[in-house]
Amino acid sequence: MTTETATRHIGKSISRVDGLEKTTGELKYLSDLLLENSCHGKVLRAAHPHARITRIDTAKAEALPGVVCVLTHRHVRGLNRFGIAQPDMPVLCEDKVRYVGDAVALVAAETEEIAKDALALIEVGYDVLPVVDDPERALEPGAPPVHAKGNLLHENGVAKGDVARGFAESDVVIGHRFRTQMYAHAFLEIEAGTAIHDEKTGVITVWCAGQYPYRDQLQIARALGWDPEKVHVIASPIGGAFGGKDEITIQIYLALLALHTQGRPVRLQLTREESMEAGTKRHPFIIDFKAGAAKDGTFKALEVEMVSDAGAYATLSGPVMNLAIEGASGPYLWPHTKIHGRAAYTNNGFSGAFRGFGTTQSCYAGEQIFDMIAGQLGMDPIDLRLKNALRRGDISAMNHEIWTSVGIRETLLVAKESRLWRERHARRGEFAPPLFYGVGVASEFQATGLGKGIPDFAGSHCDLEAGGTVVVRVGGIEMGTGVMTAYCQMAAEALGLGMEQVRIVAGDTEETPDSGTTTASRSIYMIGNAVTRAAKALRKVLEAFVAEHWGDGHTLEPGGVFRRDGVSLGLAQIAQRAASLGTRLRGEGHFVHPEADKDFGDGLPHIMYSYCTQVASVIVDAETGEVRVDEVLSIPDAGRAINPQGIEGQSDGGVVMGASYALLEEVLMKGGRFVNANFTNYTLPTAVDCPRRIDTVIVEVPEPTHEWGAKGIGETVTVPICPAICNAVYDAIGIRFFEIPITPERLTAALDANPECKAMRAMRGVGLA
Amino acid sequence: MLSSIPITFTLNGQRRTVEAPPEQCAGDLLRDGLGLTGTKLDCREGECGSCTVIFNGEPACSCLMTAAQLEGAEVITVEGVGAPGTPHAVQRGFVLEGAVQCGHCIPGMIVSAVSLLERNPAPSEDEIRYAIAGNICRCTGYAKIVSAIQRAAEILAGEQAPAAVR
Repeated sequence: MTTETATRHIGKSISRVDGLEKTTGELKYLSDLLLENSCHGKVLRAAHPHARITRIDTAKAEALPGVVCVLTHRHVRGLNRFGIAQPDMPVLCEDKVRYVGDAVALVAAETEEIAKDALALIEVGYDVLPVVDDPERALEPGAPPVHAKGNLLHENGVAKGDVARGFAESDVVIGHRFRTQMYAHAFLEIEAGTAIHDEKTGVITVWCAGQYPYRDQLQIARALGWDPEKVHVIASPIGGAFGGKDEITIQIYLALLALHTQGRPVRLQLTREESMEAGTKRHPFIIDFKAGAAKDGTFKALEVEMVSDAGAYATLSGPVMNLAIEGASGPYLWPHTKIHGRAAYTNNGFSGAFRGFGTTQSCYAGEQIFDMIAGQLGMDPIDLRLKNALRRGDISAMNHEIWTSVGIRETLLVAKESRLWRERHARRGEFAPPLFYGVGVASEFQATGLGKGIPDFAGSHCDLEAGGTVVVRVGGIEMGTGVMTAYCQMAAEALGLGMEQVRIVAGDTEETPDSGTTTASRSIYMIGNAVTRAAKALRKVLEAFVAEHWGDGHTLEPGGVFRRDGVSLGLAQIAQRAASLGTRLRGEGHFVHPEADKDFGDGLPHIMYSYCTQVASVIVDAETGEVRVDEVLSIPDAGRAINPQGIEGQSDGGVVMGASYALLEEVLMKGGRFVNANFTNYTLPTAVDCPRRIDTVIVEVPEPTHEWGAKGIGETVTVPICPAICNAVYDAIGIRFFEIPITPERLTAALDANPECKAMRAMRGVGLA
Repeated sequence: MLSSIPITFTLNGQRRTVEAPPEQCAGDLLRDGLGLTGTKLDCREGECGSCTVIFNGEPACSCLMTAAQLEGAEVITVEGVGAPGTPHAVQRGFVLEGAVQCGHCIPGMIVSAVSLLERNPAPSEDEIRYAIAGNICRCTGYAKIVSAIQRAAEILAGEQAPAAVR
């Protein structure tokens, strides 16, 4: 770790390397690609959320002029399944459909319109089955099975001490049931891509946004029954993902179609509704959360029981529930815990990875319970959290030692000293009924990396290339978070170069090494370490090459100039010599994630966490039921900030996404069908709806196992804001919401049902009620 | 689709005639027909604003227009605003303020912002927020986009200052 030395790039708010390309429209996304002579693909989706397929007849579709091919499960020659954690999702359904996004057939045609017309000509016979649309009922005996093995997809739990004793020793015990909604990623770039089968080389190339090109390659090859080497995946850049492009989206469809278009390229672009209905969502959860504390605020016992609605297929529902379990304790010390969760199959779409990854749900419940405990004890909510905050070396709620950096206390101290928190009582007087002002706080710790027992590695290559440019190759992708700029900063710093001397190549199974997934807040930490190590290795390679060809005694100066006795030797000159000799000047860097000393299966637990505290003020209008978030203070622990401007951007966006989770967005389903699957009725926050002021204060508690002390914050900044807003609403009007989003309808109904709450009394006090 | 007809319009300052089916989505014509892929189609129903172009001087969703409507019109896409070597003040403002993340909403945002600053060179924060209320961004929380447009207004004011002195 080199945190104390002066740096040229690390810790600086350097403009994004892709900024100009993106603002001018120059950057080509993979969905922008339209190769000459392309055919156009379309997907036939299930007509019912749950049904047996009795027959599929494609004859009429095949006969339609302009149709190039019509494919069904019969064309899937390898495993007709995909799925990251367990492959249970059919590529093309053969005997049963389990949600309305299930794919039954594919068409390629001369135009998109012909392909669409052909879909209507495919005849599929169905025997409709009863729809399973409630995760608790799905787990009851006798529930119609979504899969032959039953509806229990995943079950896991952790325990420490004796919760019965812990609750007996508590002076205050509070428990409640919470519900969270289904929530859409709503990334702007709809799933779209192109594939081509080179009949000479036998290679299929797939250009399609995905968060892990090497795993996409494996899943495609497995479905085709091919050698992965014959599948070339290009997955970066991505116009937004948030976890929603972690699982396979359309990559296998593209590859299958490309095999049946006689070498012509095939393009497939989903519609927004199709993307909403067929793609991953954030799990709805039902959470029974109970906690006990002593009079002085010391946490004594925690008991949590959760059920998630996984929808029709597994994807990452198991690991998501595991992170909900891990996150339930919050960043606090607990002597006695019992945390258990189950994920249930239903016919409600399918849920999987989403920024926050399960911790979003358990943190929303827990941080409200902790606030209720503070209220009952008459304690300042921040003091209660500080009293129990984890320290490095503490034993977690899962009974494992957290020996990595822990910055929660530092984030809480910033919150406690902030103007927003100090003036929270004073500002109330500025508002008169029907307006009520309130301030809330919440904290989170987000497990980062893939967790115990899951291979978690990253590789990077750093090459000196023609003209003296250093090219950094990573298998990770750029989905907007700014990691490519950070990698550039790290490589330039390690080599003493300017930012303009370094270029990144990313996310391509032929051009870049495997760096693992771009998920789990792992990129800055994992890939950043690999990039830095590769750059340091290249530095050694260059020094040796210069010594060999120009003699000893050179020193490498900033800007990449080797100097001896006043004579300088530039990188371009070195690259030229290497090229003439056929020598590749490459540094390789690898990093493997450290692991916890306990193993509860499927990645549980983790050993590293990012920490964040957020404070929000709200103005509640008791007449209209609207909640306006007035101001937010977001305090992530970044280990060490590589690019503060990038972290602020993540924090701003995370806050607005989390605030929308608390107040606005919900995917509505009825009998397994989507009610609001487009942007007209799935409402997203605009520049007018979102908080006007978001301040980010970055706390830096360096992580010793990172080359620069850094760790990821992409997820943690989006999680505590939701319970912070719920706590602020309680502070404003005296009503707790155990179900989100807190829509105007829910809020006015709650006011009517609680005539004795703070707001209703105040309204009567001024003669309004 | 109907058969193609010639459509003549001014695109990024150049008069062009293209052959296209009259009912084709104007956004598709720009992207697939003319290769101007800066314009994005992220909802195709006028909700997200990623496809915003300047149409006869006003910001408009190209996804809600047909190719036939382009006849005789003047259209400016993000490519017509500026290029990497010659960026517009709004594009520079976005880069300097860190207002870009995934970037898919950005072309539409840039076009809306350029159009706003042409109408109102010194907008208030509220005026900026309302001017981009038709452009959805899922990454940034809009904070740095608002600062970027303020910054662009300052850059433009600075560029115009010497002229005013003369």
